[in-house]
Amino acid sequence: MTVWRQAGLILLVALGLAGATAAIHPKRPSFLAPPQDPNEVSLAQTKEWGRSVLWVDARSETEFVAEHIPDAICLNFENWNQQFPKFLDHFNPGQRVVVYCSATSCQLSREIAEKLRTSGVADAHYLEGGWEAWKKGQLEGR
Amino acid sequence: MSSGGTGEAGRRLVAFRIGRLVLKTILAGLFLFAAIAKLADPAAFTQQIMNYQLVPWPVAACMAVFLPALEFCLGICLLLGRLESGALLWVTILLVAFSGALLSAMVRGLAIDCGCFGRAMETTGTIVPLIRNLGLLAVTAALWFSRRK
Repeated sequence: MTVWRQAGLILLVALGLAGATAAIHPKRPSFLAPPQDPNEVSLAQTKEWGRSVLWVDARSETEFVAEHIPDAICLNFENWNQQFPKFLDHFNPGQRVVVYCSATSCQLSREIAEKLRTSGVADAHYLEGGWEAWKKGQLEGR
Repeated sequence: MSSGGTGEAGRRLVAFRIGRLVLKTILAGLFLFAAIAKLADPAAFTQQIMNYQLVPWPVAACMAVFLPALEFCLGICLLLGRLESGALLWVTILLVAFSGALLSAMVRGLAIDCGCFGRAMETTGTIVPLIRNLGLLAVTAALWFSRRK
């Protein structure tokens, strides 16, 4: 059998397995849009919470240094070990934490918020639309 | 003299076959581990794909079920020594694609977990996975050029 035929056969079997996963896997993803998550908060909601919110910037340190939400702490997967103690210094137990990353397409904020919750920060949320939404809100005076 | 030469050639052949089998088993093991880790939670893997900011959600969701399925098939093929050439071709395509995605994340300064092994083994940063992929590409090339045609 030629290489291409072999590759085609493997592709067919993989597609069958993928189809079965998509149909019956209990943790299959939603295929049209991201699932609604109760931990996602809008910019308007964070404005209502006011200054009690502790902001966490999940973007890279370069992006953070260039511009960030005032008083935000840079915390992501790369600098977690160094920055998490610093985060704890700023964090008051029971305080609301909102994580943001660059835009809606970025899921890092969701993951960092999840990691914070598993690390004992119960009220950790993430911002819908991320940094782009914040900037847009600033420009529109919201 | 000639029997000594034949013995030496025989030993070399055995060493070559054992070396090839070890490399193939390592590659198969890595692909099977990656596949099983991702198949454990395709929804979480979708989010990890989204972190690269390269494709929209529906595409990421389809990739999150297809990629682990393909990796699983490749691992099995390599382990059993069946459809080996086709499997090595796919392994090369996947490793080049993954390396391209990692390189693009590195260039854009994205601080993400590579998602190479789902949630089973979080690898922060993109440099280590990129170097690992290049090593695996070298292993794949060695297996490709030493295969029986």
